[in-house]
Amino acid sequence: MDAQNLDHINQLLDKDVELREKIKDQVTEFDKKTRTLTGLLNRIHSTPSSQVPELIATVTPVLESCKESTAALAALTPPNQFWRWKDMWSVSLRNAVFAAALVEFLRSGGLLSLPRAAETLGIKDEWRDRFALSAEDYLHALISMVNELSRLAVNSVTMGDFEQPLKISTFVKDLFAGFAMLNLKNDTLRRRYDSLKYDIKKIEEVVYDVSLRKLAPSQSNKM
Amino acid sequence: MSVVLNSRESILTTFNHFREELDDFHDTRERLIKSSRDVTNLSKKVIFLIHRTLTETLGQSDEKETSLRAVSRAKGKLKEIQNLFAGMSEEIAGDRFWRYQKNVSPGLQEYIEALSFAYYLQCQTMISYEEVQKSLSDADGNPYFPLPLDDYLLGLSDLTGELMRYAISSISRRGGRSEANEVCKFVRGCRADFEALTPYFRELRKKQQVTSQSLEKIEDVAYAITVRSSEYDLPPELLDDIVERTVLEAGFGSGGDGRDRTREGGRRGGDNNRENGDYD
Repeated sequence: MDAQNLDHINQLLDKDVELREKIKDQVTEFDKKTRTLTGLLNRIHSTPSSQVPELIATVTPVLESCKESTAALAALTPPNQFWRWKDMWSVSLRNAVFAAALVEFLRSGGLLSLPRAAETLGIKDEWRDRFALSAEDYLHALISMVNELSRLAVNSVTMGDFEQPLKISTFVKDLFAGFAMLNLKNDTLRRRYDSLKYDIKKIEEVVYDVSLRKLAPSQSNKM
Repeated sequence: MSVVLNSRESILTTFNHFREELDDFHDTRERLIKSSRDVTNLSKKVIFLIHRTLTETLGQSDEKETSLRAVSRAKGKLKEIQNLFAGMSEEIAGDRFWRYQKNVSPGLQEYIEALSFAYYLQCQTMISYEEVQKSLSDADGNPYFPLPLDDYLLGLSDLTGELMRYAISSISRRGGRSEANEVCKFVRGCRADFEALTPYFRELRKKQQVTSQSLEKIEDVAYAITVRSSEYDLPPELLDDIVERTVLEAGFGSGGDGRDRTREGGRRGGDNNRENGDYD
């Protein structure tokens, strides 16, 4: 190879290497925040429902701080290269979305939509080609949430809350019906979707135990 | 859409959108994989065409002319491949390219291998990154997609294998031994250049081993030629005659390992020895 071409190659290479380092630094920061989030949210399993709003209040500022990370990553990514680099941060992003979706469920019992999730994390529409919340990442986050909710169904009963499992059951079944509509290929999303039925089974068992002993309020007929 | 979804209906509606989006992605992906496979097939054909052209005119014309004939035939086929890329460009425009890059890359690498082979025969140098990118651009110079550095390097890395085949089949051609030596030098240079880049590309490391093996084969053939030609105090043209006749009589085509050929040629015995006697 002639020297000019080698120079050119090395320049391109240096640029990529430098960018990769910078993104990695930001991802580390982002990751710290999402770990804090997961840590805080782990307390739902030991927090009585009356105190959940206070718990959520401690989560919100951390969730808010994720906006800095998404903005920093969007600023680093060159135009049109979102898909080139997204694998570097998708784990962190999924965890953040998981936290946001779980918080929304605890607050309202509803599902946080994708655009709303993006908004919560400060992801702007005009970043599309540099930083976005892809359907895949969003769906992964929802599955993580279901995993967590099946635990919550068990633990809320332990804490004496017999209504929560019923709410969870309805919500998770709706979600599962949604997932069932997708034509999933043989990828990680498919495998995780397949595992959802164990979560549902677990939730159903809790619901069964609770109803059998007439512990649950009788008006919940949605199950 | 920008709300919290509270009913099953709203959830199902949203997932309907996801289904469309995911289906769309998978369909595009499938289409691009097919196109990439077409590119791979055509590229392999170009490479075979070049090898065939180089050997079929065995001994009828000089080396340079043969190479250029191979190049001009290859160029027509390469144009077809470039048109395939042009056809793909719409689906991989803008930010979509990097989403599908993994699906496009096998074909792209094979194309670069074929292109660089033709380029080497024409210019005796390595095609530059910019020239490959230029070959993948429309008439106004707008690239169909950005050329990934790793695909460029991995494509070139495969070139060394083709050059090995070329060098070894050159040996039996008029003037082919000096050609083989040139190729040997060139591949050695490639290997050194790639070595510096291997830390950054995992796949290049694997291919580098293959390059080393190819280089060794060429070196072994060059060695055999030197040793054998030193046995006869002959001008290169006469040696060409001997080698050519031996190869023709033995009925060897192109390819294969040079060492086997010389050994088998020798074993054929009689004719070979008599000729040697004539010239001594």
